[in-house]
Amino acid sequence: MSNFKKGFIAILPIASGVIPFGMVMGVVFAEANLSFLQAVLMNQVVYAGASQLATVSLMKLNTAILIVLATGLIINLRFMLYSAAMSPYLENANRWVKYFCAFTLTDQSYAAMTANQDKFKTNSEAVQFYMGTAVAMLITWHASVLFGYLFGNIAPPKLNLDYAIPLSFVALLVPALKTKTHYFIALFSAIASLVFYKAPLNTGLMISALLSIALAWLIIKRKSRKAT
Amino acid sequence: MIDPNYFLLIVFLLAIGTFLIRYSFVGLSDRMKIPNEVKDLFTYIPAAILPGLFIPATFYYQGQVAGLFHKERFIIILFCFGLTIFIRNTLVCMAVGLGLLYLVQG
Repeated sequence: MSNFKKGFIAILPIASGVIPFGMVMGVVFAEANLSFLQAVLMNQVVYAGASQLATVSLMKLNTAILIVLATGLIINLRFMLYSAAMSPYLENANRWVKYFCAFTLTDQSYAAMTANQDKFKTNSEAVQFYMGTAVAMLITWHASVLFGYLFGNIAPPKLNLDYAIPLSFVALLVPALKTKTHYFIALFSAIASLVFYKAPLNTGLMISALLSIALAWLIIKRKSRKAT
Repeated sequence: MIDPNYFLLIVFLLAIGTFLIRYSFVGLSDRMKIPNEVKDLFTYIPAAILPGLFIPATFYYQGQVAGLFHKERFIIILFCFGLTIFIRNTLVCMAVGLGLLYLVQG
């Protein structure tokens, strides 16, 4: 099986957790009285669910442009960390592959790729696997947003399908925890995200992420000093 | 009603900004040699970010069951986390989580 196919298939269970999220996004577009074209346009060119959800809600209230933009971009800042982590794999890739991989960076694709990184012999194998996950995510996301826009959220509220979203993040996180230190960092990040949850302009996620990475860096440095 | 020009301007700027964030390091990849230590650090990125995407969302969620102090979503997520460590299966994790929440709230 090609690596592209492997990636495509590997992410399908995770992608199913994106369907309720996409449907909510579609409903939010429709409830904001945005036209079909406007909804499709935003969804195609931004392609970042959490920031779209936040910015559409702010636009409904006619919030100042700078605040709307700052909110959306701060939510998306975490992609810069994914971009850094993806960059070694894309060293020798051509420009269009880089554009595609950057544009399609999501929590899901990035995490699926790192969870499998030990299995790749070359960078190009890793990139093909990643592209498979990215295409599966694109299809799932756009289809579920369109469905939500056109038909509304048809899932019975009693089933709490929105809960599939946090559950899918749990399933993404666990394979990435390869050592005890990874568990420790995840625990630290969980506590920090609760502490900084109310930080202004949605900066809580980035604060807890950066603190966790700083802590990981200190631990790595200490270990390497001990080793030498 | 959202003003169409206001909407277009924001979407346009948000799209460009988001792409530049995503492209940042990928774009620099052939000009930078990343030390192995930093590559090690990259393996911590999911651990550093992902809890922030589901822990506050479930911990601060206003649930229905008073006996659990409205924390059923949070408790179930912790249980599913533990379960997924042993049974490495996404679909089992999601099915058990949704099933438990349904039972608790039923």
